[in-house]
Order: sequence, then structure tokens, then C-alpha cells
Amino acid sequence: MNNTCEEILTIQGYGLAYLSADRIIISHNSTFSGFAGQHLDESPFIENIIPEVFGLEKPLAKVASGEEKYLILENVSRQIDESRELFLNISFFHLSDQSRPLLCLIQDVTNSALQKQKIIQQKHEINLLKHLSETRKKFLSSSLLGNSPPIKEIRRLIGKIALIPNSTVLLLGESGTGKNLAAQVIHYGSRSSDANFVEINCAAIPENLLESELFGYEKGAFTHAIKSKPGLLEEANGGTLFLDEIAEMPLTLQSKLLSVLESRRFRRLGSNREQEVHFRLIAATNRNLPQRISEGKFREDLYYRLNVISIELPPLRKMGQDILLIAGHFIEVFNLEFKKEVQGFTAAARQKLLKHTWPGNVRELSNCIERAMIFSEKNMIEEGELVFSKESVNLSSRWQIPATGIDLEEVEKQLILSALENSNGNKSQAARLLGLSRDTLRYRLEKYQID
Amino acid sequence: MSARMESSNLIKKKICLLGSFGVGKTSLVRRFVFDEFKDNYLSTIGVKVTEKIVAPVLDSNHKPIQYKFLIWDIEGHDKFNTMIRNYYLGASGGIFVADLTRPESVQTLKKTIAVFQEINPRACLTLAANKRDLYEENSEESIKILRQIDNLKIHYLLTSAKTGYNVEKLFYYLANRL
Ligand SMILES: Nc1nc2c(ncn2[C@@H]2O[C@H](COP(=O)(O)OP(=O)(O)OP(=O)(O)O)[C@@H](O)[C@H]2O)c(=O)[nH]1
Ligand SMILES: [Mg+2]
Repeated sequence: MNNTCEEILTIQGYGLAYLSADRIIISHNSTFSGFAGQHLDESPFIENIIPEVFGLEKPLAKVASGEEKYLILENVSRQIDESRELFLNISFFHLSDQSRPLLCLIQDVTNSALQKQKIIQQKHEINLLKHLSETRKKFLSSSLLGNSPPIKEIRRLIGKIALIPNSTVLLLGESGTGKNLAAQVIHYGSRSSDANFVEINCAAIPENLLESELFGYEKGAFTHAIKSKPGLLEEANGGTLFLDEIAEMPLTLQSKLLSVLESRRFRRLGSNREQEVHFRLIAATNRNLPQRISEGKFREDLYYRLNVISIELPPLRKMGQDILLIAGHFIEVFNLEFKKEVQGFTAAARQKLLKHTWPGNVRELSNCIERAMIFSEKNMIEEGELVFSKESVNLSSRWQIPATGIDLEEVEKQLILSALENSNGNKSQAARLLGLSRDTLRYRLEKYQID
Repeated sequence: MSARMESSNLIKKKICLLGSFGVGKTSLVRRFVFDEFKDNYLSTIGVKVTEKIVAPVLDSNHKPIQYKFLIWDIEGHDKFNTMIRNYYLGASGGIFVADLTRPESVQTLKKTIAVFQEINPRACLTLAANKRDLYEENSEESIKILRQIDNLKIHYLLTSAKTGYNVEKLFYYLANRL
């Protein structure tokens, strides 16, 4: 390897060491000594310095000889202290240099590991839920967390529903109450882990697309159908189909759906072959369906077909002290994500959380805590750091365009700069403040040439 | 004891804990190494290696011998990509962990055992049928699970990381046979 490569790797934060064929460290950069800790002068052998290398003698001999090109140990965890964990990728590469045929690279991958942790954690908890009896349930997932009577009742109902795998379930509740999560809990509670959970939001997709998404199509079924595509009904076979915002489904599609539910058969668009499907349908809405029926916007027969078992998810304001429990859960989640050590809320902040009416429910609570934690410098979140989305909505509706007009792009640029400033240049946090994905933010940064 | 002295007397052995998510691998290590147990669950990502010097045992020639275990607590997995297979490399012992309350955690072990044995044909194996404290002895479900475990045809112990039941025995089963 040449010096430029070595420099680049060092600048990128890699620990780097050259080894002989028998794994003796010949030279290394200073980042490597950081990862190796004080063991570095105890022995020349890498396995005595990086304990995870012990046992890899044979595979490493293969890399040294060039029989294998590389060997990677991913996400090796190191506990730094009580609350901090570091994750490293430790890799070995073959070099065509007889005296030092092995290059060891160590990369800090803590951020991505913690992200993965968060995702896997929730999936596993949902999965474990079905095996835990009522008393042992330590279900952390936000919206189903709590001890208030309505939430306990919901957990009891979900436990029962899990036992009847094909029954249709209707989830009702204001937006942000966690209907999607409840649907997943039902799915993972009743199906084997390889059954699909397929979801679609009926309000987010134009009418004609929604139909082809659901039913799939054959090549040539319509102008742009250049090849056949299975629909979500097929994908959900053996698993669960979750239709969010079902009230927004167009009437024509409602009748087609009803027919699938009754016959358990359907055809792809442009096909005359009927297929059989078996899935559990979970539908959700925050609308008043009987009212939609009387307005002629929802089919009564479909409503009765869906309303076999319905669960109403309670709004946050009816969950009493559970608000604090859930808020505490979000602190744990965001501590991990932002590498902070926030302990809790001051008494005044707790009161403020309990008094708020939470029109946006758990989603609003999550955003509120996330925002507070981005800015919080202390280990207790204070009253003033809790900003409710209603306040910010009011704020935005107060913005007025001056008579002289504005330069929208300039305003956007300023807002992005200010978000970056507030988050100390952390792009993920800035994106969150702006309600953008990281990629969108990156694109805008390029567009405005912000560094 | 300094590190140098240690290494002259002790024989290092790599021991892997394997099995599906949430079966109690991390909890078994924590019980064995630190004699503690936590009720909350934090999924392991990647691998965490913990060292523990075990009490001297007699080798096959009845001579005392002392091991330092490098215990690999591997993230819960049912699939076997290169990342997972690399964790298995060079292990002398494998502890397969099943959850007595979840039959599917036993089913997936069949493949896990096969892959581990393919990589480490000479390794010593045992199985921990964990969460013994939750298991109701005479329930039909439990009997079914035990029958499945028995079918795997490897040594096993019922354990509980929570109460400590059989946890030392599990690790010393390996120490006595390496
Ligand atoms: N009652 C009881 N609970 C246990 C026992 N062992 C583990 N648990 C609990 O089961 C959950 C999962 O335990 P972990 O040790 O984290 O499981 P793991 O196998 O390391 O899980 P992954 O890292 O995701 O693969 C935790 O909530 C533990 O407290 C046991 O013997 N009895
Ligand atoms: Mg674990």
C-alpha cells in the first residue's frame, strides 16, 4: 500500500497496522494504538492486543498467503464505561509485500451499529411479546407501553386476536396513536417470523395506482405495464395485509376489496386467471366510518365485513401518568441515538407534559422529546425545552409574506443554515428539525452549495 | 496477576454462545462472569467478547489445567451469512441456547449446530435450554420442547440465567471436555 492511501485512511479515522505472516505487529498508526489501549506494549502478537483475533490464526494465514483476500469481523463491541459502548469493524487484508503481508484496519462503526440496534430491538420486542405472560410483559414499544386501564385492555385484546390468525381487525383512533404499531404487534404475535407484513396507506397513493399496487398486473394490462408485477395481495399471502387510512379508499376499489375478502380469490389486472389468497386484513382509520357511510363515501357492507373485531386506540390525553412512562421510553431511545445521557424531566417539565392535550398523540410526544433532546445540554429536560407542535404550527401560520414579496429559495437556504447552526452542524439532527430526510437535506445542501 | 504471568499459565479458549434473538445468551454470560441478572432486554448487535478465568480442572491425563475463556456473545441469528460465520472461526466450544418458552428457538438451532460444526469440527458442544424458571414442568408445550431438544442429539442442560440454575455447570461442562 502506498503512503497516500495510508494517509487517507488515517485521516478517515481508521486504525491501521501492518503485520508479518505470523501476526506480529510491525508498524501502526496512532489511531490503532487508541483502539489497542495499553496492551500495545505487552506483546508483539496482534491476538494479545486485540482479543477478538484469538482463534483466527488459520484463517489469517490464508489471508497472509493470498489464498483469501480479506477477513472482516463486523460490529465488535467494546464497553468503554457503564453507559458507553463502542463498535468496531476489524478487517484484515492481503498485501503483496512478503515482509508484511497483512494489513489490519480498525474502523469505528458505533453510529451505524446503534441505528441497527434500535431497529432490531423493536422488531425483537414485538416478536418476544407473544411469549411473555401478562405480568412479565416489558413491552417497550412506545404506544403500547403503559399501565392505564385502556392500554391494558388493548394488550389483552391483542393477545386474544393473535390466537385467531385470519380474522379481520379494524383499528380506530386519532392520528398518531400507534395504529401501525398495533397492527405489527398483532401480526408478529400471530404469525411465524417469515410471514409477510405488507402495508399500504390508501390516502398516500392515487386511485388507479392503488388498484394496481394491490392487485398487481400482467404485462400489457395498461400502457406502462411493460412487465408483470405481483400485487400486495399476493405478497401478503400467508401473512398480514395492513390497509392504513382505509376510509380514503375509492368506492370502486372498496367493492373489489370486499369481493376479495368474501371469495378469498382475486385476479391481477389484465389477467383472467383467478388466484386464491389467505391473509389477515388489518384496516385502520382515524375517520368516523358510520358518518362516511351516511355521506355515501364508504360502503356499508365493507364496513360490516371489516368491523368484526375493532380496537380503539386511546388518545394520549386519556392515558394519565402513562405519558411520563412513554416519554421516559423516548429518552432512552434518543439517548442511544444522540449519545446523550439525559436522565429525565424536571418536576415542572413533568407537569407540562401531563397538562398538554397532545392532539398529535404519541407521534407528537416523540417529536417533542426528540427536539428537546437535540437542544438539551443538561441531564434533566426542563420545562422550557418542551415545545409542542401546536405552538410551532401557530408560529408558522403567523408568517406573512411582505408586500414586496420574498425569494423562497433564499428563505429555504436561511432556514437550512439556521437548522445546521442549532444542531451544531450535525446533518441528521438538522434534517430532523426541518422535517426532511437526510438525503433530501444533502441534496439541498448541494443545491445551495452549503458546506 | 500481570497479563504476562497470566498468559504463561492459562490456556485461552474461544467459546461461542449461539442461538436466536432473546433466548438469553447475554444473560447467561452476565450470570456466569459477573453473577448478575437484568430483567430488561437489550438486543446484542455484532459480538461482545468477555474474558473469564475458570477454576482449574483436570485434563484427560488427570493433570490440573486452567483455562481463560474468551466468551463470544453473538447477536441473535437464524441466518448464516459471512459476517456470522466469521464469528464462529476458531472456536473450541459452542453453547447453543434455546428458550424453553419458544419452540421456534429450538427449531432454528438445528441449522446453527450444523454450520458451527462444519466450521469447527472438533469443537465441544453443549446446549442450554434456558429460562427454566418460566417453564411449567408438566405442561404439554414444555414436554414438546424438551422432546425437540432431545432430538438434536447433543448434550443439554436446563438453565436459568435469572436464578443462576445450572449456569456454572454449563460452562464447566465445556471446561472439563476441551
Ligand atoms: N425469566 C427469565 N428471563 C430470562 C432468562 N434469561 C434471559 N431472560 C430474559 O430474556 C430477555 C432476553 O435476554 P438476553 O440475554 O438479552 O437474550 P439474548 O439471547 O442475548 O438476545 P439477543 O442479544 O437479541 O440475541 C431479557 O429480558 C432477559 O431478562 C431466564 O433464565 N429467565
Ligand atoms: Mg444478547
